[in-house]
Amino acid sequence: MTNFAVGLFHGPDSALTAAGTLKGAGFATPELMSPVPIEGVEEVLGEKKSVIKHFTFFGGLIGGISGFLLAAVTAVLYLHPTGGRPIITIPPFLIITYEATIFFGILFTVLGFIISARLPAFRDRVYVPESAVDKFVVTVACDDDEHFKRAETILRDAGAEQVRELAEED
Amino acid sequence: MQAETKDPQYADIHRDVVRSIVETGPRYYVALATALGVTLLCFFFPWFYQLYYGIGAAGVNHPQVWGTYLASFIFWIGLSHSGTLLSCVLHLSNSAWRKAMYRSAEAMTLFSLMVAATFVMVHLGRPWFIHWALPYPNQMEMWPNFRSPLLFDVMAIGTYLTGSSIFIYMGSIPDFAAVRDRTTGWRNTMYTLLSLGWRGTDSEWHRLHWAYTFLAVLIIPLAVSVHSIVSWDFALSIVPALHQTIFAPYFVVGAIFSGTAGIVTVMFVLRKYIAGFDQYITRVHFDNLGKLLLVLSLIWTYINAIELFTGWYSGASTEHEALQYKLFGYYAPLYWEMILFFAVAPLLCIFKRFRTSFVPMLILSIAINIGMYTERFLIVGTSLSRQYLPDAWGVYVPSLVELSIILGSFALFTTLFLVFVKIFPSISMYEVKETMDIPKTEPIAPPEGNPA
Amino acid sequence: MSILERFAEGWRKYRKPGYYDEFDYHWAMTIDLDKCTGCEACVTACQSENNLPIVGEKGFAEGREIKWIRIERYWEGEYPDVKLRFIPMLCQHCDSAPCETVCPVSATYHNQDGLNTQIYNRCIGTRSCAVYCPYEVRYFNYYDHHWDSPLDQQLNPDVTVREKGVMEKCTFCIQRIRQAKDVAKDEGRRRVRDGEVQPACVQTCPTQALVFGDRKDPESQVSKSMNNPRAYRVLDELNTDPSVVYLKKVETKG
Repeated sequence: MTNFAVGLFHGPDSALTAAGTLKGAGFATPELMSPVPIEGVEEVLGEKKSVIKHFTFFGGLIGGISGFLLAAVTAVLYLHPTGGRPIITIPPFLIITYEATIFFGILFTVLGFIISARLPAFRDRVYVPESAVDKFVVTVACDDDEHFKRAETILRDAGAEQVRELAEED
Repeated sequence: MQAETKDPQYADIHRDVVRSIVETGPRYYVALATALGVTLLCFFFPWFYQLYYGIGAAGVNHPQVWGTYLASFIFWIGLSHSGTLLSCVLHLSNSAWRKAMYRSAEAMTLFSLMVAATFVMVHLGRPWFIHWALPYPNQMEMWPNFRSPLLFDVMAIGTYLTGSSIFIYMGSIPDFAAVRDRTTGWRNTMYTLLSLGWRGTDSEWHRLHWAYTFLAVLIIPLAVSVHSIVSWDFALSIVPALHQTIFAPYFVVGAIFSGTAGIVTVMFVLRKYIAGFDQYITRVHFDNLGKLLLVLSLIWTYINAIELFTGWYSGASTEHEALQYKLFGYYAPLYWEMILFFAVAPLLCIFKRFRTSFVPMLILSIAINIGMYTERFLIVGTSLSRQYLPDAWGVYVPSLVELSIILGSFALFTTLFLVFVKIFPSISMYEVKETMDIPKTEPIAPPEGNPA
Repeated sequence: MSILERFAEGWRKYRKPGYYDEFDYHWAMTIDLDKCTGCEACVTACQSENNLPIVGEKGFAEGREIKWIRIERYWEGEYPDVKLRFIPMLCQHCDSAPCETVCPVSATYHNQDGLNTQIYNRCIGTRSCAVYCPYEVRYFNYYDHHWDSPLDQQLNPDVTVREKGVMEKCTFCIQRIRQAKDVAKDEGRRRVRDGEVQPACVQTCPTQALVFGDRKDPESQVSKSMNNPRAYRVLDELNTDPSVVYLKKVETKG
């Protein structure tokens, strides 16, 4: 069981200030929950690397190759001369390749999103329903009561309207 | 909420959208029942009649082997180009006014594609074998013919359907999470599953933003290619009026044009019939859509004029015959009606007063879509009537079965859209909230309907 | 041979148009318009030989006739100087057929006899081949047809009956070609001789305006007929390479 100190703020600026202070005070990296994406998170909490672009590129590559191979190999497997055209015709097969590139690019992007965002969540994690409506929430893991008191002080100083203690199953 | 002087707050839009899903009045049920009834009566029943008796139930003949079924198919694919394409382009250009309408526009795309797919099945002579057009390993060891323009269609529309559904789903995950918190019972289970446990943390937002942007970047060339490929069903033939290189841009521009008009219609309906949405769908949206309609109409007029000019300038007798038939032949009244609705009427959007009034824009959008359907019908009808050999010229009049199926397809689309409104949040909550100011300080009210 | 060499050889082979080095036979037909009287005996013969459906008066009025070979009529001039021209139009069995490429399920293809064949049980009825054919010689079964008795007794057992939703067109009586090739094989792997196989229309024509044969054989009647200076192909400018050659009618003035 990990305990979390949870602070509810009415605006993103105060939430960001609180998160920055918490990080600077030596706590584990706080998480911000919000109804809309917040600007300026990366300056406070550090750069985020996105691996999704690798998924997209890889997916597009696989798609392109498999699209062309699908068309060309099936044309050769069952020889079917039509219209005086060659068996492996380039312009139509390029169109198939193009569509397959985009198809697999899309699928791999979704896969990348699911993997890197760690969704779907299979266990209950700390969550505050108001964060989906109009409150900006900062959560930080606390080891013991003393940590919690320090976190609570920092949160209230930054302007939290409410501070709660929530527990998460490991 | 009736007072327009107060700007809507985060909590307001949250409440309005959740209410649009959870609370259902009798008007909705009546609308759904009507739409479903018309669909069954006018779409499925005539289609089954046609399946039993043969394609002869439609008015198609020799040489007019393609009729309104293919024209409708192309019309619905065209209509589908509104939502997702517009949404992606405007997302990448960071425009604010798209936020309120793009969810419904994307839904329009998805359902237009589904209706178009059913039209393929209606059009086929033996639709029970439609799976042969898909590449799957089978015991006949037969594969579809990848050199065929119709197969480019299959791949393109399949990709577009997948891409559109994924795109609308990904954009809705945060909204599903928001609605999940306010619902109980089976709805709560459904939204819990659909939202994948989304919490709205900064890392989740970051990933979603990147995934969404990449999807938008991928879908824009896809959408342009889909309607180009559909146009190549026609342009790769050697029928005189169809074998034109201008067809790909012609179709794409026409598609975006009619799709945008479709968005205007849908926005009007949403605004009028869902409580509270008139705050989020405002005159600004109609103004911008009107400007877009004007630009697209001018481009379409130009392309149409080019087609006429190059056909005439070529001096080829087949081209001249095709043009002369299009402008002055049997279908001439339809041609001039199309010019009126497509090229002349949208010029009204030059006037800002017209653009920002709701009912005139609605009428214009419906007129544009009627013109669009006429254009698709004329592409099929006038070109196949006059081909190379004069002995094989013919005239085509749609039969009652076909007209009924056209009507039924609109009812089918309406049914799907009505179901959508009750499952998906039809306005993207988090994006509209992004355009609003942050909420003022208020005491926190306990959340309603929180599952125990 | 290494993989690379096999791949290169395959690439070279499959990039050739149609991939055939040469056809086994190359069936062709010439139609002498000077001899054609427009009697439509060929139309009737084709209908009997190939189990063409009886569409009926109503079907014809709707424009749904099925005539694998049709006599096209063109009127010229005003009364009393009216002239009637006719030209039999059947599937030209184009070597670069536009109809073959567009079928999504590969129901039509060019076989090694140079014939454009239609596979009835693969056809799903998209009708795009009919759109792509510039000669408009492809016909679609809009209904299931039946033959009133006793006409059902004259159906040809060598030819299938097509169900609704399927495209059909002239096959150069491929059942007769097949039978001739079988007979030739039974008699010891010889080639089919010139004149041994004739489609129903060629057999029936009272003026012998239609000539059919293998144009790979320079001695065949059809090859010699094609060398006639009157020879032309319909819609030649479309580069469809038809296998049917027409001999222009000799006009007399006055």
